[in-house]
Amino acid sequence: MGGSLSVLGAGLAFGLGAIGPGIGVGFVAGKAIEGMARQPEMAGRIQTTMFIGMALAEAIALLGFVLAFVLQAAK
Amino acid sequence: MLTNYSLFLLIAITLTAIFFFVASRKLSLVPKGIGNVGEWGVEFVRNNIVLDVMGSEGAKYLPFIVTVFFAVLFNDFLGLIPGMKPGTGTLGTTFAWGIMVFVVYNWIGFRKHGFFGYLKSFLPSGTPWWLAWLIYPLEVISHFLRPFTLGVRLYANMYAGHIVLGVFGIFVVMVAAALSPVGVIVGSLSLIMQVIMYAFEVFVAFIQAYVFAILTAVYMNGALHAGEH
Repeated sequence: MGGSLSVLGAGLAFGLGAIGPGIGVGFVAGKAIEGMARQPEMAGRIQTTMFIGMALAEAIALLGFVLAFVLQAAK
Repeated sequence: MLTNYSLFLLIAITLTAIFFFVASRKLSLVPKGIGNVGEWGVEFVRNNIVLDVMGSEGAKYLPFIVTVFFAVLFNDFLGLIPGMKPGTGTLGTTFAWGIMVFVVYNWIGFRKHGFFGYLKSFLPSGTPWWLAWLIYPLEVISHFLRPFTLGVRLYANMYAGHIVLGVFGIFVVMVAAALSPVGVIVGSLSLIMQVIMYAFEVFVAFIQAYVFAILTAVYMNGALHAGEH
């Protein structure tokens, strides 16, 4: 049972850490769709910027993902 | 040592090389067949990634970004063939590629701005001196996180997708073997889910290659225009 708390911590680290980026990525996509609907001729540029914004927001969730691995390995 | 993943990495890289070797053998103004496919791919990267993000000065770095894009794309797609694994589904590969991108874009920055010029440009212009000691380390850390996030993003997406497909596939076989009425319903439902997930994974494989290449272009652009924001 020694490792069970660190496993719990790993799950919490990723689960809680994914909340914020999840909201952020949704916000980016929603606003991008809004912009594309308003100005369809700019859709290509908006899409590129959307992917960059999504990738940067995602990076925070990935830190939690790595932290989960690190915590799981901790005994 | 040759592992399962590195074997498929080698196969995918070889396929990429063979594809572009064949595609560029007979160059003409109006390409036909496989040459046309290759040209379409390169043009896609040029118009949607390099020119969109970096502008016309990015044309110099097109070969590197095309290479990165297609290496990731071929690896991702190879993993979708049943029985094969994505070469990018292991942290070693993706992390190494992230470090490669990190080295290349910093090298571009150092060449463009000079050694101390580039180091100084990490600090956003207009930062008051009493904040500089706090901002500068943060900016440097955010640079060092870049290869890390590049690698982990690609790895996590490909590995998780591979596991999901595998789980649904095994589930269908296990439930079908039971041959009970409930099992048939659950099995056929997960078979439908498997097909949907497969389509989604094809999309993810492409998007991840796109994101990897576009972030490479963004980081290069940042190094070229360091200290201007």
